Amino acid sequence: MTARNWVQDMPTEEAYAINRILYRVQHDRAEETRFFDNPARYIADEPLSDAARAALDATDIGRLYLLGANPYLLRAYCLQLRVPEADYLAALRAVGDATHG
Amino acid sequence: MAEITGVYAVSHTPVMTNMPDAPAPARREAAFRQFTRVGQEIAATQPDALVLVSDDHLHNFFLDNLPPFCIGVARSYPSPVEGWLKIPKQQLPGDAALAAHLLQSVMAAGFDPALSMELTLDHGMMTPLDLAGIAGAIPVVPILVNTVQPPMPAMRRCVAFGRALGQAIRGYMGAARVAVLATGGLSHDVGTPRMGQLDEAFDRGFLQQLEAGGLDAAADFAEATVNTAGNGAEEVRNWLVAQGIAEGAPFETYHYDCITDWYTGIGLGRWSMMA
Repeated sequence: MTARNWVQDMPTEEAYAINRILYRVQHDRAEETRFFDNPARYIADEPLSDAARAALDATDIGRLYLLGANPYLLRAYCLQLRVPEADYLAALRAVGDATHG
Repeated sequence: MAEITGVYAVSHTPVMTNMPDAPAPARREAAFRQFTRVGQEIAATQPDALVLVSDDHLHNFFLDNLPPFCIGVARSYPSPVEGWLKIPKQQLPGDAALAAHLLQSVMAAGFDPALSMELTLDHGMMTPLDLAGIAGAIPVVPILVNTVQPPMPAMRRCVAFGRALGQAIRGYMGAARVAVLATGGLSHDVGTPRMGQLDEAFDRGFLQQLEAGGLDAAADFAEATVNTAGNGAEEVRNWLVAQGIAEGAPFETYHYDCITDWYTGIGLGRWSMMA
């Protein structure tokens, strides 16, 4: 496999739905509050694919990355969730073989 | 007619600001000295305005409306947007008249950048300005290139856009002296499985292409090889805009160091333009 910087050359609708949550939670104080009040309910209310909903519910970082979460938004989201840096990097590296040669 | 007093490019990473002591003292001090040097050189020419070329890391823009290029035309810019960035909140003065001239000129030349009258600048511009000691000292015109979400402008398009910007700056009657600072790259990954890995061969190859001068060689090199250098290396588009502004003059590398402790290939320099 040839090395690539991006999982998707064009964002899919599924990726857009994920990224919209990541963006809102980072930039909209009201959305951030609503999310952290009850993340499971927030995610349940969003129009997501089953795979995206499951990945968000479980904070499955590697899966979110593969589904097209923008890496910059995903990075900020994980910092907001206070995911330990080592766990964050390990989750990404675990899926590395699927995306990079 | 405005004189372009200098065209510079530097890497940017928020890690330099938030974890300045991560690298060994000699390496970090060498890098910081070069940021100071760039700031002092820019300030010494007493520019009326500073054109900044960088990217928005999905703060002002999102996938609902994501411009390949955008010119800020505001009179001031509250910054930084990131609450976690260890730089005090401040208002950067903007040169709205120059920005409007650049926007209108490049559109007349066949380019179609978006405009924004309300931008909050992020670490891409604030970290270099802060490290260079010139944040808030010179009215700015922020020019943003999409380097963070495909599809992105072709590398050669960035050079061409830069040439149009350079011609517009030189034709501006409202200021005597304008400096240019592009920021971003060099090799690094953000939020990918390769995060923490750098590509020194890419960085040195790209710098060598710039040093050789000419318009498109560095762009072609980057287009062919950027996928080995990380998604953060896509920011070399910002350097290529500056390469176009400098009309392909040879680049003088002031400093390069592959600093894994900052997750980034750190490069700085200027284009050696004839007066």
